[in-house]
Amino acid sequence: MSALRVVGKQRPRLDAAAKVLGQTHYTADVALDGALEGVVKRSPHAFARVVRVDVTRAASLPGVRAIAHAGNTPAQPLDFGIKDQHLFPRPYARYAGEPVAAVAADTVAQARAAADAIEVEYEILEPVLDARRALEASAPLVHPDWKQYTKLPTRVLRGNVCGHNRIRRGDVETAFARPDVVVHASEFCFSPGLPGYIEPRAAAARREPDGGLTVWCGSQSPYENRDELATFFGLERERVRFINQFVGGAFGGKIIMAAEWYAAALALQCDRPVRMAWTRHEDGLHAFPRHGGYASFKSAATADGTLVAMRAEFVYDTGAYIGYGTGTSQISTMLASAPYRIPNLDLEATLVYTNKHVAGPVRAPGGPQANYAKELHLDELAAILGVDALEFRLHNAWEDGDQSPSGQTLSGVRVKEALRAAADAIGWGTPARPGEGRGIGCTWWFSACGESKARLEVRADGSILLASGNPEVGTGASSTALPMMAAEVLGVDPARITVVLSDTATDTYDAGVGGSASTFSAGTAVAAAAKDVHAKLLTLAEDALEARADDIELRDGRALVRGSPDHAVALAELARKAGGAVSGEGEAAEIDDPEFDESLTETHGFASWLAPSYTASAAHVDVDPDTGAVTVRKIATAQDVGYAVNPTGAIGQIEGGAVMGVGWALTEALQFDERGHVRPDLKDYLMPTAVDAPEIATILIESSPGAGPYGLKGVGEPPITTPPAAIAGAIRAAVGAAPHETPMTPERVWRAARDR
Amino acid sequence: MQPVTLFVNGSAREVVVEPLQTLLAVLRDHLGLTGTKEGCGTGYCGACTVLIDGQPVNACLFPAVDADRRDVTTIEGLADDAGMLHPVQSAFIERFGLQCGYCTPGMILSAASLLAENPQPSDEQARSALAGNICRCTGYQTIIAAVHEAARLLREQGRAGEAPGKRAPIRGRA
Repeated sequence: MSALRVVGKQRPRLDAAAKVLGQTHYTADVALDGALEGVVKRSPHAFARVVRVDVTRAASLPGVRAIAHAGNTPAQPLDFGIKDQHLFPRPYARYAGEPVAAVAADTVAQARAAADAIEVEYEILEPVLDARRALEASAPLVHPDWKQYTKLPTRVLRGNVCGHNRIRRGDVETAFARPDVVVHASEFCFSPGLPGYIEPRAAAARREPDGGLTVWCGSQSPYENRDELATFFGLERERVRFINQFVGGAFGGKIIMAAEWYAAALALQCDRPVRMAWTRHEDGLHAFPRHGGYASFKSAATADGTLVAMRAEFVYDTGAYIGYGTGTSQISTMLASAPYRIPNLDLEATLVYTNKHVAGPVRAPGGPQANYAKELHLDELAAILGVDALEFRLHNAWEDGDQSPSGQTLSGVRVKEALRAAADAIGWGTPARPGEGRGIGCTWWFSACGESKARLEVRADGSILLASGNPEVGTGASSTALPMMAAEVLGVDPARITVVLSDTATDTYDAGVGGSASTFSAGTAVAAAAKDVHAKLLTLAEDALEARADDIELRDGRALVRGSPDHAVALAELARKAGGAVSGEGEAAEIDDPEFDESLTETHGFASWLAPSYTASAAHVDVDPDTGAVTVRKIATAQDVGYAVNPTGAIGQIEGGAVMGVGWALTEALQFDERGHVRPDLKDYLMPTAVDAPEIATILIESSPGAGPYGLKGVGEPPITTPPAAIAGAIRAAVGAAPHETPMTPERVWRAARDR
Repeated sequence: MQPVTLFVNGSAREVVVEPLQTLLAVLRDHLGLTGTKEGCGTGYCGACTVLIDGQPVNACLFPAVDADRRDVTTIEGLADDAGMLHPVQSAFIERFGLQCGYCTPGMILSAASLLAENPQPSDEQARSALAGNICRCTGYQTIIAAVHEAARLLREQGRAGEAPGKRAPIRGRA
């Protein structure tokens, strides 16, 4: 490969100027002439049967244009692998906040008044608000009709259990009984958490004269959402257009459609567009939180600190509907024992329905939970054995040739490098003052490549257009990494490339932002499109320059003959010769997961990982022994990124992940009261501010190439999965114990220290 | 309904508002200045931060009537008339102080206000001044670096302590 000029270089984001000027449009900023305002009416009950919805009085109020409800929207269930959910209750409302109707009116005030005037008769039922309670034989069924549901054959559904997977190898019971081992057991509890994007959900929709529908949204997966919405409303897919705007943060919380459904349902009944901008509170009532739940760990090690067995069991509260909840349980069993060589394993995760909000695929589903529990549990075991936490990890960490829990053979393993780098960066081993502690945690994670298409066009006016279906949600993958990759191939300044935001009218399908896949999948498509354009430009340049393609290179916006830089032609000129534009297309296909030993897994579905990466975080904290208050002084994260195509973006993900991890570890809890009412407002849901955020050190490990373009691996998710574990370890080091429940509030830290 | 005159980014804007209508609603819905964002509507996230007579306020809580005949600086008014970015804006670009950009207008205005009062803030002072602006993407480190860089640029340009944004040339009651 010739020397790279664009990729791998730290540079400002290409969308930064518009953002600092306030010119960037998010969904609520879209101006639509004559737009009606939409609002949603929600059930106040955690569990109720909707007996009657009467819109008569509401419909007669001033300014009201449409009311959508179960009586006038399609009856078929939504399909997330288990068909357990309807757009509006038929007849059950299964969480406090579930939509029962939506109203479009001339003003927001009129729409709210009408929503209040809709009469809903509920038969209130006893809710299930705790995951362990949901497993009890006496617990009410969240889905009384579960036996009638259709589902994928791979899904598990038994009453309140809506997911289960297990990985087993060796024989844990025999290992636990060995006379030469120390056995330690721990129980953990996780609070649910919000993705915490600052832009609340919004959407707008307009019925088109041809019977189609246009939707303006800020989604992570507009193409998937488009297909789902078109199918549901019986519209031709080609006539439904999703125009994605810039997204004000997503973090997995904007994969599943929300406001889009209700704006569309209303717009289909109206002659005017309908827009809907949810307040923070409404957004929280409709949140797709990170899973809360429980975990039990039991492990055995010999006196020299060699791990011989582990049993781990997770019970996750997935809320009222399955949604994308399954990933959390699958990933948790993959993380529970990793990245450690443990010959005897029994790792199990159960997903249960409760009458709470639909837990979603929040950034690194299962990652913070599983790693916090696993690493704190192992810290305790190491302490019993009298082994240093870092030494214990280095002693047991995977090496090349080791196997994952499910029997995937690993190569390019960078656990030890990551551990050492993170530990060094926080001064591991420095004598600590009272109340000061250092901790460390590590993990592995997957890369993913989904289907993606891209189109690239060099135009005679000198402009270059790049269309990718991959949305820009804030990571910079779409706005910056993709044009960098195209610019590298075309030999142009990336700032010259205009990125067309994800818009289904461009017909460049992309599976969406998720699984840390954007730069991998959309980048593969963009690189292929750029290669296509490159070849076409060279052919045109052969004629223009009367030289052989082998002797021509693209550089500084021109095609030039190697060795004689004045012998050149501008790319725009080549486009002119080609009739106005030179365009190319590229695509990425989904890459299958690697081989593993299926006999070790039960109903798993995600038991081997493409291009795995390895990450360690170390934390340096101060704990006030009188109050239990924790101050995180520094987080260091060393991450095996394969290759950082856009280092600004990669470092940004790691720094942002560190502070999101601080929040999950110490302050963030989505609280429910005894009636299942949620408190999602920011006065109750405490995300870190600049004052709470620690110094962050980032170490990029680029010695183990992945399967993506330039050897990249998925980057966005790992950095939130290890800081909570490191913080827990540091608290333990500081005061002798750490809470087994998140968030690790001052009170819990104080009690843990007192009871140690 | 009440008529008010707002001096928005140096221009007098006359609007008729409801008694408790927020400044945020007036800026976005009446004046089309959508650079100011609504994040929480309750004063916790700071995405709606604007400056009133140079002081940062949460526009989502601030009654528009209380801004009558006062200078309101929004993100649209920070660059100069020639379109030259304010040093805080260029520093946020160069020091990677943003990702999704939704908190950025408010964050930049809080930072600009800080630097007008304290041209050389410490890390702690910078963090404290921005504690009312939540960013979920960056982890804040690049934002704090941007504030220091902006302070340096302002000093370098001889603009240390300069009030950000444009003031209306004619003040006081008509």
